[in-house]
Amino acid sequence: MDLTFPYTISVRLPSDLEIIPSIRKFVSEVLQVSGFSAKFAFRSEIIVDAICNNAITHGSSGGVDGEVELSCVIHGDRLEVVVRDNGGSSADIERLKEAVRRTRLGLPLPDYDSGGMGLEIVKLLSETIDINVDENNVTSIHVVRRREDV
Amino acid sequence: MSDNALTMEISSEWGGAEIAVLKVSGFLDFSGIAMLSRFFDKIAAGNWSYIVVDLAELEAICSAALGEFMGYRKRFVERGGSLVFAGLSGNIRSKLTLLGANKIFSFYQDVRSAINAYKWDYKKQSKSVAISFPAHLALVPPVRQFASRLVRQKGYSVKDAFRVETIVDEVCNNAVEHGIDEPGSAVDVRIAVDKEKIDITVSNKSAPDKVAVLRELTKPQAQGSNHVGTNDKRGRGLALIRMLSNDMDVNITEHGTTVHVTKLREE
Repeated sequence: MDLTFPYTISVRLPSDLEIIPSIRKFVSEVLQVSGFSAKFAFRSEIIVDAICNNAITHGSSGGVDGEVELSCVIHGDRLEVVVRDNGGSSADIERLKEAVRRTRLGLPLPDYDSGGMGLEIVKLLSETIDINVDENNVTSIHVVRRREDV
Repeated sequence: MSDNALTMEISSEWGGAEIAVLKVSGFLDFSGIAMLSRFFDKIAAGNWSYIVVDLAELEAICSAALGEFMGYRKRFVERGGSLVFAGLSGNIRSKLTLLGANKIFSFYQDVRSAINAYKWDYKKQSKSVAISFPAHLALVPPVRQFASRLVRQKGYSVKDAFRVETIVDEVCNNAVEHGIDEPGSAVDVRIAVDKEKIDITVSNKSAPDKVAVLRELTKPQAQGSNHVGTNDKRGRGLALIRMLSNDMDVNITEHGTTVHVTKLREE
Protein backbone atom coordinates (compact mmCIF):
# COMPACT_ATOMS: atom_id res chain seq x y z
CA MET A 1 0.00 0.00 0.00
CA ASP A 2 1.42 3.38 -0.97
CA LEU A 3 1.71 6.24 1.44
CA THR A 4 -1.15 8.70 1.08
CA PHE A 5 -0.15 12.34 0.77
CA PRO A 6 -0.23 14.65 2.58
CA TYR A 7 0.87 13.23 5.89
CA THR A 8 2.58 14.65 8.95
CA ILE A 9 5.52 13.45 10.99
CA SER A 10 5.95 15.22 14.34
CA VAL A 11 8.98 15.11 16.57
CA ARG A 12 9.34 16.61 20.03
CA LEU A 13 13.01 16.89 20.89
CA PRO A 14 15.03 18.24 23.80
CA SER A 15 16.93 21.54 23.41
CA ASP A 16 20.20 19.80 22.80
CA LEU A 17 22.32 20.44 19.73
CA GLU A 18 23.74 16.92 19.96
CA ILE A 19 20.46 15.43 18.83
CA ILE A 20 20.09 17.39 15.59
CA PRO A 21 22.21 15.12 13.34
CA SER A 22 19.98 12.15 14.21
CA ILE A 23 16.82 14.18 13.59
CA ARG A 24 17.88 15.55 10.23
CA LYS A 25 18.92 12.08 9.07
CA PHE A 26 15.51 10.78 10.18
CA VAL A 27 13.73 13.42 8.07
CA SER A 28 15.92 12.57 5.11
CA GLU A 29 15.08 8.86 5.37
CA VAL A 30 11.35 9.61 5.71
CA LEU A 31 11.50 11.68 2.51
CA GLN A 32 13.34 8.96 0.63
CA VAL A 33 10.87 6.23 1.61
CA SER A 34 8.14 8.67 0.49
CA GLY A 35 9.58 8.76 -3.03
CA PHE A 36 11.60 11.96 -2.91
CA SER A 37 15.06 11.98 -4.49
CA ALA A 38 18.26 11.69 -2.45
CA LYS A 39 19.14 15.23 -3.58
CA PHE A 40 15.83 16.63 -2.31
CA ALA A 41 16.23 14.70 0.94
CA PHE A 42 19.77 15.97 1.46
CA ARG A 43 18.77 19.58 0.85
CA SER A 44 15.81 19.22 3.18
CA GLU A 45 18.18 17.83 5.80
CA ILE A 46 20.12 21.09 5.64
CA ILE A 47 16.91 23.11 6.14
CA VAL A 48 15.92 21.01 9.17
CA ASP A 49 19.43 21.29 10.58
CA ALA A 50 19.54 25.08 10.25
CA ILE A 51 16.13 25.88 11.73
CA CYS A 52 16.42 23.35 14.56
CA ASN A 53 19.85 24.79 15.37
CA ASN A 54 18.36 28.29 15.52
CA ALA A 55 15.45 27.12 17.66
CA ILE A 56 17.74 25.44 20.18
CA THR A 57 20.44 28.11 20.23
CA HIS A 58 18.24 31.22 20.29
CA GLY A 59 14.72 30.12 21.06
CA SER A 60 14.69 27.78 24.01
CA SER A 61 13.73 30.05 26.84
CA GLY A 62 13.03 26.90 28.86
CA GLY A 63 16.80 26.83 29.34
CA VAL A 64 18.62 23.55 29.01
CA ASP A 65 15.43 21.64 29.81
CA GLY A 66 13.42 23.25 27.03
CA GLU A 67 11.91 21.43 24.08
CA VAL A 68 11.54 22.05 20.37
CA GLU A 69 8.75 20.71 18.16
CA LEU A 70 9.41 19.77 14.57
CA SER A 71 6.58 18.96 12.15
CA CYS A 72 7.12 17.84 8.59
CA VAL A 73 4.05 17.90 6.38
CA ILE A 74 4.87 15.79 3.35
CA HIS A 75 2.87 16.48 0.21
CA GLY A 76 3.34 14.77 -3.13
CA ASP A 77 4.97 17.88 -4.59
CA ARG A 78 6.48 19.68 -1.59
CA LEU A 79 7.69 19.53 1.98
CA GLU A 80 6.53 21.89 4.69
CA VAL A 81 8.73 22.14 7.76
CA VAL A 82 7.46 23.84 10.91
CA VAL A 83 9.75 24.28 13.92
CA ARG A 84 8.27 25.65 17.11
CA ASP A 85 10.21 26.68 20.21
CA ASN A 86 9.43 28.37 23.52
CA GLY A 87 10.73 31.71 22.31
CA GLY A 88 14.01 33.37 23.15
CA SER A 89 14.83 36.80 24.51
CA SER A 90 13.00 39.74 22.94
CA ALA A 91 16.29 40.69 21.24
CA ASP A 92 16.54 37.22 19.68
CA ILE A 93 12.94 37.38 18.46
CA GLU A 94 13.39 40.85 16.95
CA ARG A 95 16.58 39.69 15.27
CA LEU A 96 14.82 36.66 13.83
CA LYS A 97 11.87 38.74 12.58
CA GLU A 98 14.24 41.18 10.91
CA ALA A 99 16.20 38.32 9.34
CA VAL A 100 13.02 36.76 7.94
CA ARG A 101 11.78 40.15 6.66
CA ARG A 102 15.08 40.75 4.86
CA THR A 103 15.09 37.21 3.51
CA ARG A 104 11.61 37.72 2.02
CA LEU A 105 12.68 40.99 0.42
CA GLY A 106 15.86 39.45 -0.93
CA LEU A 107 18.02 41.78 1.15
CA PRO A 108 21.31 40.64 2.68
CA LEU A 109 21.20 39.81 6.36
CA PRO A 110 22.89 42.19 8.82
CA ASP A 111 26.42 41.27 9.81
CA TYR A 112 25.69 39.70 13.17
CA ASP A 113 28.47 39.00 15.62
CA SER A 114 28.15 35.27 15.23
CA GLY A 115 26.42 32.85 12.90
CA GLY A 116 23.63 34.20 10.72
CA MET A 117 24.32 31.82 7.83
CA GLY A 118 21.52 29.43 8.75
CA LEU A 119 18.64 31.49 7.36
CA GLU A 120 20.67 32.45 4.28
CA ILE A 121 21.07 28.77 3.49
CA VAL A 122 17.39 28.02 4.20
CA LYS A 123 16.46 30.90 1.88
CA LEU A 124 18.58 29.41 -0.91
CA LEU A 125 17.04 25.98 -0.51
CA SER A 126 13.36 26.85 -0.07
CA GLU A 127 10.49 28.74 -1.66
CA THR A 128 9.01 30.49 1.36
CA ILE A 129 9.96 31.25 4.95
CA ASP A 130 7.43 32.59 7.45
CA ILE A 131 7.64 33.37 11.11
CA ASN A 132 4.93 33.59 13.71
CA VAL A 133 5.37 34.71 17.32
CA ASP A 134 2.35 34.33 19.60
CA GLU A 135 1.50 36.30 22.75
CA ASN A 136 3.55 33.87 24.86
CA ASN A 137 6.61 34.28 22.62
CA VAL A 138 6.17 30.77 21.22
CA THR A 139 7.96 31.11 17.91
CA SER A 140 7.21 29.09 14.77
CA ILE A 141 9.24 29.04 11.61
CA HIS A 142 7.44 27.67 8.56
CA VAL A 143 9.47 26.71 5.49
CA VAL A 144 8.20 25.27 2.21
CA ARG A 145 10.43 23.47 -0.27
CA ARG A 146 9.02 22.28 -3.59
CA ARG A 147 9.96 19.07 -5.29
CA GLU A 148 12.14 19.67 -8.34
CA ASP A 149 11.38 16.54 -10.33
CA VAL A 150 7.59 16.94 -10.78
CA MET B 1 39.27 50.28 25.66
CA SER B 2 40.44 48.01 22.85
CA ASP B 3 37.99 45.53 21.28
CA ASN B 4 40.36 42.76 22.28
CA ALA B 5 40.52 43.75 25.96
CA LEU B 6 40.11 40.84 28.33
CA THR B 7 36.74 40.68 30.10
CA MET B 8 35.26 38.05 32.37
CA GLU B 9 31.78 37.51 33.72
CA ILE B 10 30.28 34.85 35.99
CA SER B 11 26.68 33.72 35.61
CA SER B 12 24.81 31.05 37.51
CA GLU B 13 21.36 31.13 35.91
CA TRP B 14 21.68 27.94 33.93
CA GLY B 15 19.59 25.72 36.17
CA GLY B 16 21.52 23.96 38.88
CA ALA B 17 22.96 25.42 42.08
CA GLU B 18 26.29 23.72 41.42
CA ILE B 19 26.78 25.13 37.91
CA ALA B 20 28.60 28.38 37.11
CA VAL B 21 29.47 29.74 33.69
CA LEU B 22 32.57 31.91 33.33
CA LYS B 23 32.54 33.86 30.08
CA VAL B 24 36.02 34.89 28.99
CA SER B 25 36.30 37.34 26.07
CA GLY B 26 39.23 39.02 24.32
CA PHE B 27 42.92 38.15 24.62
CA LEU B 28 43.87 35.91 27.54
CA ASP B 29 47.63 36.36 27.64
CA PHE B 30 50.09 36.28 30.52
CA SER B 31 48.89 39.67 31.82
CA GLY B 32 45.35 38.34 32.20
CA ILE B 33 46.26 35.54 34.59
CA ALA B 34 45.87 37.73 37.67
CA MET B 35 42.31 38.58 36.57
CA LEU B 36 41.58 34.92 35.91
CA SER B 37 42.85 34.07 39.36
CA ARG B 38 40.55 36.68 40.99
CA PHE B 39 37.52 35.30 39.18
CA PHE B 40 38.35 31.74 40.15
CA ASP B 41 38.77 32.83 43.77
CA LYS B 42 35.18 34.18 43.58
CA ILE B 43 33.95 30.93 42.03
CA ALA B 44 35.81 28.84 44.62
CA ALA B 45 34.16 30.88 47.39
CA GLY B 46 30.75 29.86 46.06
CA ASN B 47 29.29 26.38 46.18
CA TRP B 48 29.73 25.77 42.49
CA SER B 49 31.44 22.57 41.48
CA TYR B 50 30.80 22.33 37.75
CA ILE B 51 32.34 25.22 35.86
CA VAL B 52 31.72 25.88 32.20
CA VAL B 53 34.28 28.27 30.71
CA ASP B 54 32.55 29.94 27.77
CA LEU B 55 35.26 30.76 25.22
CA ALA B 56 32.96 31.78 22.35
CA GLU B 57 34.39 35.31 22.33
CA LEU B 58 37.96 34.47 23.22
CA GLU B 59 40.44 35.81 20.66
CA ALA B 60 43.64 34.16 21.90
CA ILE B 61 44.97 32.19 24.85
CA CYS B 62 48.52 31.68 26.12
CA SER B 63 49.85 28.35 27.36
CA ALA B 64 50.38 29.76 30.86
CA ALA B 65 46.62 30.47 31.11
CA LEU B 66 45.91 26.91 30.08
CA GLY B 67 48.15 25.75 32.92
CA GLU B 68 46.07 27.87 35.32
CA PHE B 69 42.87 26.27 34.06
CA MET B 70 44.39 22.84 34.72
CA GLY B 71 45.03 23.80 38.34
CA TYR B 72 41.47 25.12 38.79
CA ARG B 73 40.04 22.01 37.16
CA LYS B 74 41.79 19.83 39.74
CA ARG B 75 40.16 21.89 42.50
CA PHE B 76 36.65 21.33 41.08
CA VAL B 77 37.22 17.65 40.39
CA GLU B 78 38.09 17.28 44.08
CA ARG B 79 34.69 18.85 44.85
CA GLY B 80 33.03 16.16 42.76
CA GLY B 81 32.57 18.36 39.71
CA SER B 82 34.71 19.48 36.80
CA LEU B 83 35.80 22.39 34.63
CA VAL B 84 35.00 22.21 30.92
CA PHE B 85 35.34 24.47 27.87
CA ALA B 86 32.45 25.51 25.62
CA GLY B 87 31.98 27.51 22.42
CA LEU B 88 35.58 27.28 21.19
CA SER B 89 36.26 28.77 17.76
CA GLY B 90 38.16 26.62 15.28
CA ASN B 91 41.33 28.59 15.94
CA ILE B 92 41.23 28.28 19.72
CA ARG B 93 40.21 24.62 19.54
CA SER B 94 43.19 23.88 17.26
CA LYS B 95 45.59 25.64 19.57
CA LEU B 96 44.29 23.89 22.69
CA THR B 97 44.34 20.54 20.90
CA LEU B 98 47.96 21.10 19.84
CA LEU B 99 48.79 21.77 23.48
CA GLY B 100 47.10 18.49 24.45
CA ALA B 101 44.28 20.17 26.38
CA ASN B 102 41.67 17.94 24.74
CA LYS B 103 43.09 15.01 26.73
CA ILE B 104 42.33 16.79 30.00
CA PHE B 105 39.35 19.05 29.33
CA SER B 106 36.05 18.25 27.66
CA PHE B 107 35.17 20.60 24.79
CA TYR B 108 31.53 21.39 24.01
CA GLN B 109 29.90 23.17 21.12
CA ASP B 110 28.14 25.66 23.39
CA VAL B 111 27.28 26.27 27.04
CA ARG B 112 23.94 24.49 26.72
CA SER B 113 25.64 21.32 25.46
CA ALA B 114 28.13 21.45 28.34
CA ILE B 115 25.31 21.71 30.88
CA ASN B 116 23.34 18.96 29.17
CA ALA B 117 26.43 16.74 29.44
CA TYR B 118 26.70 17.57 33.15
CA LYS B 119 23.05 16.66 33.76
CA TRP B 120 23.52 13.44 31.82
CA ASP B 121 26.76 12.39 33.57
CA TYR B 122 26.25 13.62 37.11
CA LYS B 123 22.47 13.90 37.54
CA LYS B 124 21.55 10.83 35.49
CA GLN B 125 18.99 12.92 33.64
CA SER B 126 17.27 11.21 30.74
CA LYS B 127 16.76 12.61 27.25
CA SER B 128 13.52 11.83 25.56
CA VAL B 129 12.33 12.21 21.99
CA ALA B 130 8.73 11.69 20.91
CA ILE B 131 7.83 10.86 17.33
CA SER B 132 4.35 10.63 15.86
CA PHE B 133 3.99 9.08 12.39
CA PRO B 134 1.14 7.78 10.24
CA ALA B 135 0.46 4.07 10.68
CA HIS B 136 2.27 2.83 7.60
CA LEU B 137 4.92 0.11 7.46
CA ALA B 138 7.13 2.11 5.06
CA LEU B 139 7.79 4.63 7.83
CA VAL B 140 8.97 2.10 10.41
CA PRO B 141 12.58 1.75 9.08
CA PRO B 142 13.39 5.48 9.49
CA VAL B 143 11.96 5.36 13.03
CA ARG B 144 13.96 2.29 14.06
CA GLN B 145 17.14 3.71 12.51
CA PHE B 146 16.58 6.95 14.38
CA ALA B 147 16.28 5.00 17.64
CA SER B 148 19.54 3.21 16.90
CA ARG B 149 21.39 6.44 16.10
CA LEU B 150 20.00 8.14 19.21
CA VAL B 151 21.26 5.46 21.60
CA ARG B 152 24.64 5.23 19.82
CA GLN B 153 24.97 8.97 20.11
CA LYS B 154 24.32 8.73 23.85
CA GLY B 155 27.24 6.32 24.23
CA TYR B 156 25.55 2.92 24.02
CA SER B 157 27.32 0.06 22.23
CA VAL B 158 26.58 -1.13 18.70
CA LYS B 159 25.07 -4.29 20.22
CA ASP B 160 22.70 -2.32 22.46
CA ALA B 161 21.79 -0.05 19.55
CA PHE B 162 21.03 -3.02 17.33
CA ARG B 163 18.81 -4.55 19.99
CA VAL B 164 16.95 -1.28 20.50
CA GLU B 165 16.51 -0.99 16.75
CA THR B 166 15.04 -4.50 16.62
CA ILE B 167 12.69 -3.79 19.55
CA VAL B 168 11.45 -0.53 18.01
CA ASP B 169 10.98 -2.26 14.67
CA GLU B 170 8.92 -5.07 16.16
CA VAL B 171 6.76 -2.90 18.40
CA CYS B 172 6.07 -0.36 15.64
CA ASN B 173 5.31 -3.06 13.08
CA ASN B 174 2.81 -4.53 15.53
CA ALA B 175 1.29 -1.11 16.14
CA VAL B 176 0.82 -0.53 12.41
CA GLU B 177 -0.41 -4.03 11.69
CA HIS B 178 -2.84 -4.39 14.59
CA GLY B 179 -3.78 -0.75 15.00
CA ILE B 180 -6.90 0.84 13.63
CA ASP B 181 -6.88 1.14 9.85
CA GLU B 182 -8.34 4.56 9.16
CA PRO B 183 -6.98 7.74 7.56
CA GLY B 184 -5.08 9.91 10.00
CA SER B 185 -4.35 7.14 12.49
CA ALA B 186 -0.92 7.62 13.99
CA VAL B 187 1.65 5.66 15.95
CA ASP B 188 3.29 7.54 18.82
CA VAL B 189 6.78 6.51 19.86
CA ARG B 190 8.64 7.90 22.85
CA ILE B 191 12.26 6.97 23.47
CA ALA B 192 13.80 8.06 26.79
CA VAL B 193 17.50 7.39 27.23
CA ASP B 194 19.54 7.79 30.39
CA LYS B 195 22.97 6.49 31.35
CA GLU B 196 21.67 3.12 32.46
CA LYS B 197 18.61 2.27 30.40
CA ILE B 198 16.39 3.00 27.45
CA ASP B 199 12.61 3.21 27.82
CA ILE B 200 10.56 2.77 24.70
CA THR B 201 6.82 3.49 24.69
CA VAL B 202 4.71 2.91 21.59
CA SER B 203 1.00 3.80 21.52
CA ASN B 204 -1.63 3.42 18.83
CA LYS B 205 -5.39 3.28 18.46
CA SER B 206 -6.64 -0.30 18.37
CA ALA B 207 -9.26 -1.66 16.01
CA PRO B 208 -12.20 -2.58 18.31
CA ASP B 209 -12.62 -5.99 16.63
CA LYS B 210 -8.97 -6.86 17.34
CA VAL B 211 -8.92 -5.99 21.05
CA ALA B 212 -9.94 -9.48 22.19
CA VAL B 213 -7.31 -11.14 19.97
CA LEU B 214 -4.63 -8.76 21.18
CA ARG B 215 -5.52 -9.45 24.81
CA GLU B 216 -5.32 -13.17 24.17
CA LEU B 217 -1.88 -12.83 22.59
CA THR B 218 -0.49 -10.82 25.46
CA LYS B 219 -2.11 -12.45 28.49
CA PRO B 220 0.27 -13.84 31.15
CA GLN B 221 0.25 -17.51 30.04
CA ALA B 222 1.03 -16.46 26.47
CA GLN B 223 3.80 -14.16 27.72
CA GLY B 224 5.29 -16.96 29.77
CA SER B 225 6.03 -19.05 26.73
CA ASN B 226 8.68 -18.00 24.29
CA HIS B 227 8.03 -21.03 22.15
CA VAL B 228 6.79 -20.47 18.65
CA GLY B 229 5.85 -23.52 16.61
CA THR B 230 8.20 -24.39 13.77
CA ASN B 231 5.39 -24.14 11.24
CA ASP B 232 4.21 -20.77 12.52
CA LYS B 233 5.08 -18.07 10.02
CA ARG B 234 4.13 -15.19 12.30
CA GLY B 235 4.00 -14.36 15.97
CA ARG B 236 7.69 -14.14 16.82
CA GLY B 237 7.63 -10.40 17.48
CA LEU B 238 6.58 -10.41 21.15
CA ALA B 239 8.85 -13.37 21.95
CA LEU B 240 11.76 -11.55 20.32
CA ILE B 241 11.07 -8.33 22.23
CA ARG B 242 10.93 -10.26 25.52
CA MET B 243 14.23 -11.91 24.68
CA LEU B 244 16.00 -8.65 23.81
CA SER B 245 14.61 -6.46 26.58
CA ASN B 246 14.62 -6.44 30.37
CA ASP B 247 10.98 -5.57 30.91
CA MET B 248 7.89 -5.37 28.77
CA ASP B 249 4.39 -4.25 29.60
CA VAL B 250 1.39 -4.20 27.26
CA ASN B 251 -1.75 -2.26 28.07
CA ILE B 252 -4.74 -2.83 25.80
CA THR B 253 -7.96 -0.88 26.12
CA GLU B 254 -10.84 -0.13 23.76
CA HIS B 255 -9.14 3.17 23.01
CA GLY B 256 -5.75 1.86 22.13
CA THR B 257 -2.68 -0.18 22.88
CA THR B 258 0.44 0.98 24.70
CA VAL B 259 3.58 -1.12 24.79
CA HIS B 260 6.34 -0.14 27.18
CA VAL B 261 9.74 -1.82 26.91
CA THR B 262 12.79 -1.24 29.09
CA LYS B 263 16.25 -2.17 27.89
CA LEU B 264 19.16 -1.90 30.32
CA ARG B 265 22.66 -0.93 29.17
CA GLU B 266 24.71 -4.07 28.71
CA GLU B 267 28.16 -2.74 27.93
